[in-house]
Amino acid sequence: MPSDQLLEVEDLTTTFGTDDGTLTAVDGVDFDVDTGETVCIVGESGSGKTVATESITRIIKTPPGEIEGTVRYKGRDLLAMPESELRDIRGNEIAHIFQNPQEAMNHCYTVGWQITEALQIHQDVSDEEARAKAVDLMDRVGIANASARFDDYPHEFSGGQKQRVMIAMALVGDPDLLIADEPTTALDVTVQAQILRLLDELQEEFDMGVLFVTHDLGVVAEIADRIVVMYAGKVMERGGVLDIFDHPAHPYTQQLLECLPEFGGTTVGGIPGTLPDPHDPPDGCRFAPRCEYAEGACRAGEQPEEIEVSPGQRVSCVHYRPGMDPSVVRNDNFEPVGGDGAADGEGGVSRADD
Amino acid sequence: MATESPEQFDQVDWNDLSRSGRFDLSINSIGMLVTALPLALLGVYDWRFVGDRTATFEFVGLDRTLETVDFLFIFTLLLAFWYLVLPLYQNPRRTRYYWKEFKRNRPAVVSLGWLGIVFVGGIVGPLVMNAPQQELLIAYQPPVFTSVVDTTPATCVGEVINGRCHGTWQHPLGTTNAGRDVFTMIVYGMTISMQIAFITTTIVATVGITFGTLSAYAGGWVDEIMMRFTDIILSFPTFLMFLLILYIYGAGLGMFIVVFSLFAWGGTARYVRSKSLSISEEEFIKSSRISGASTYQVIRGHVVPNVASSIITQLTLLIPGFLLYEAQLAFLGIGDSTVPSWGQLIAAGRSDLSFAPWIVLAPGIVLFLTILAFNFLGDALLDALNPEAEAENA
Amino acid sequence: MGFGRYVTARVLWAGVVSLVITTITFLLLSAAPNPDVQQATTQAALQGGDPAAAAERARELRGLDEPLYVRYFDFIQGVYTLDWGWSSSRSQPVLEAVVGALYYTAQYSIPWTILTVILGPLVGVYSAANMYSWRDHAATGFAFFGYAIPNFFFGIILLLIFGVWLEVIPVVYNTDVAVFSVENVVQLAIPVFVLVTGSIGALMRVSRNESAEFQNSDFMKTAKAKGVSPLRAYAYHVMRPTLVPVSTTLVGQLLALFLGSSLLVEVVFGIPGLGRLTFEALLSQDTNLVLGTTLFFTFVAVVGNLIEDLVFTVLDPRISYDDR
Repeated sequence: MPSDQLLEVEDLTTTFGTDDGTLTAVDGVDFDVDTGETVCIVGESGSGKTVATESITRIIKTPPGEIEGTVRYKGRDLLAMPESELRDIRGNEIAHIFQNPQEAMNHCYTVGWQITEALQIHQDVSDEEARAKAVDLMDRVGIANASARFDDYPHEFSGGQKQRVMIAMALVGDPDLLIADEPTTALDVTVQAQILRLLDELQEEFDMGVLFVTHDLGVVAEIADRIVVMYAGKVMERGGVLDIFDHPAHPYTQQLLECLPEFGGTTVGGIPGTLPDPHDPPDGCRFAPRCEYAEGACRAGEQPEEIEVSPGQRVSCVHYRPGMDPSVVRNDNFEPVGGDGAADGEGGVSRADD
Repeated sequence: MATESPEQFDQVDWNDLSRSGRFDLSINSIGMLVTALPLALLGVYDWRFVGDRTATFEFVGLDRTLETVDFLFIFTLLLAFWYLVLPLYQNPRRTRYYWKEFKRNRPAVVSLGWLGIVFVGGIVGPLVMNAPQQELLIAYQPPVFTSVVDTTPATCVGEVINGRCHGTWQHPLGTTNAGRDVFTMIVYGMTISMQIAFITTTIVATVGITFGTLSAYAGGWVDEIMMRFTDIILSFPTFLMFLLILYIYGAGLGMFIVVFSLFAWGGTARYVRSKSLSISEEEFIKSSRISGASTYQVIRGHVVPNVASSIITQLTLLIPGFLLYEAQLAFLGIGDSTVPSWGQLIAAGRSDLSFAPWIVLAPGIVLFLTILAFNFLGDALLDALNPEAEAENA
Repeated sequence: MGFGRYVTARVLWAGVVSLVITTITFLLLSAAPNPDVQQATTQAALQGGDPAAAAERARELRGLDEPLYVRYFDFIQGVYTLDWGWSSSRSQPVLEAVVGALYYTAQYSIPWTILTVILGPLVGVYSAANMYSWRDHAATGFAFFGYAIPNFFFGIILLLIFGVWLEVIPVVYNTDVAVFSVENVVQLAIPVFVLVTGSIGALMRVSRNESAEFQNSDFMKTAKAKGVSPLRAYAYHVMRPTLVPVSTTLVGQLLALFLGSSLLVEVVFGIPGLGRLTFEALLSQDTNLVLGTTLFFTFVAVVGNLIEDLVFTVLDPRISYDDR
């Protein structure tokens, strides 16, 4: 039953017209999110993951942006919808949390005003009801003395508290889908963990689908059900969190994991090379110029078709094609994480498992 | 910051200056001294030995006299040459880079061209053109390419066709009710405008930078008092106070320049102070202090170059205000009537506006264009010198 | 509460500033020969009397023989108790003359201020929202034009075009028409227009540049993600933060024009307001009246700066009152 998916993204392509020509940030990406599950989009900065999520509800500026493809939310195509109809969905059914809570709030209004704004727009509520609901939510996201802090301004909150307020702001419309774009990146490590736990609890409580964008695989291990690995606007690999951490199929995914010391990674200083020029992406696999296993077939034609390597895990890599030898890529040097479980990662992975 | 981005224009070569110490003078300072000395001597000579009604250059047989304002003007011109123009020449690479940035702003380039004309006209014009003479016979000549009913001018210099007097190249912008050539008067007005621009700028920059850095480095209650004083200066109704001074003492162009620039440095001082405070926190200042640089050297070598760009911008945007005030006073008939400024010309032509509009229009448009040019230039400098502000200005 | 204390401190400071300026005015006056005394001296000399004795009498008459500090305290007391003396040129108390002139000044100043406050930020934000479009370029061009053209010159030209050539506005200001009448609107339209063009330019530039920053801000994205309509987003999320920097430019700009150009505009259009009063007092050597009008404008400046600071503090919630 395809229609039971909460969000289905098909062939999403987002381009920007710039002075130097057309920049393709997202290039034919598919993914879906189901009610109650957390899907993580993983990739380096510049891989197009943020643009992809912001294209879903068309909150990126158009022009210069241009979005193509289909985004079905509960069966309705968001990209074909008139702006006014889409506005009723934004903040009401699909909510966003952004990376930098410092900048994401308007410094001229109280947090209470900003939390209730979505309610005032979308629902016919009185000021008292809105306030009650906002105070309730602030309390729920862990802001002490919520009713008094309702009238405080953003600058009177700490970074972590601001992100809690942002979460309250997102949840005020009882959304069915929450899009969280690196919500913990700008925060201290200890605060990060708290916020992730909070999101996890809230997801269950509100029974939302969560689309979570991050470059931090440590975070992914903690919260994801499924993972979509993006590189230079394309999907490299996707699958359940355990499959990906256990036996990453794509060389890029492998290298990403190798950068994580807490998962037994050994590479220090990241993957050599840089992202390709988004104005003029290379032929074949986008990752080929930086891939140590790349051969002729990798550098011709389009990005390889995704191939199922295990149930639910699919990879876009020529080495998995029929007649090719996957063991070239799956070298033995790599220590899979889930197998013997690196000390730090264990808790996170098992959490995502249940 | 100075040590990190040596490409910055406004660093000029103050760094080299401060490095070489206080008394080891650069070519710029030597040049300044060598040229300013004769000027100072001439000034003393003019002040002590030359009678009020005798021309300054009587001793070489020239019938030219220099007022105090002229001496100040030449002095500021020398300053500008040795410390602004010459450094640009000394650092051709930086100059080219800076020009490239600046060139992208088309209106600013046109503005610079216009101000260049006003500048050269103001310097050279009075040397090659005789002061406009009163010639009642040729009053109200129309500008070239236009014509008026031939009863307007007393006698028509150009052709009279169908009862209309046509303008001639002899008086390209026509003549006033006293038969003075409008074009010549505008050129003479350029001198006044340039004098106002250069002298006020020098005074404001000197007082503002000194006050700001002193305040920042003194700190504590001295800083507090100095900044409160700046607050008062900033909220001072200068125009009205000048009216009062004018009323009580009477005032010429020199007094005008002094009063207005002495009440205009508030913003500069405030800016320099906050910038000095933030700069003195920078690592490279600490390191140069550790290596034994005096406060003077730190200010000269680091603070001034770092605030120079913003100050240049601020000053460029202050100048039009001064020009406007001068014109307003002249228009009210309470300006310095001995100087042929544009405002005086506008005031003179006002009563003849309905039949001889060029007397008002020509200087008015020139004044407007000059103010506009300074604004465009200031805007462009803001973009070129503060790259981070570029995004918001276009 | 921090705010109350801040306001108190700021108001006290405004009092100090006004006192300083008043003192400077006093010193300026007392350091100069009094024109009335000079007049008396000249008269005595012309009529064959003793100039020195006449000067002495005149000085005594005006209390100038008192020690400086006594005169200073008298002066300050007079200023702050609104006892501003007698205007010899108008044969009425100075305060009465000032209030009478204020009536005419207010008639164009109020619409001018309101129009500037409303139009400046609106056009600026609109310009930023349509950045680099022809509307933006037109608005920018207009801003520079208004900023650069000398008000009095612009006034003369418009008066020539509409008053003399087209004859749609009266060339001479008519004080007899009712304040709220079509005639008054017609005769004040051009002066108000001239002043609005003068004050609006800087305001438009500031609001355009500041709001350009805000319209690309993260919180605008948040607002959009909340489902806020573009109109509401601009009205609330861009306009509101833009008003903070604009408020400082606004008061400064209005004051600069009020204290400088309005005098010229009144002279050009023949409006018998405060500017004209000042100007005529200068010409007729009426010391008390010159002093009165100058002091009035000074107080307007002090109060304007006070308002600017207070508005800024109220508008920007991030300001902590202890720091200032």
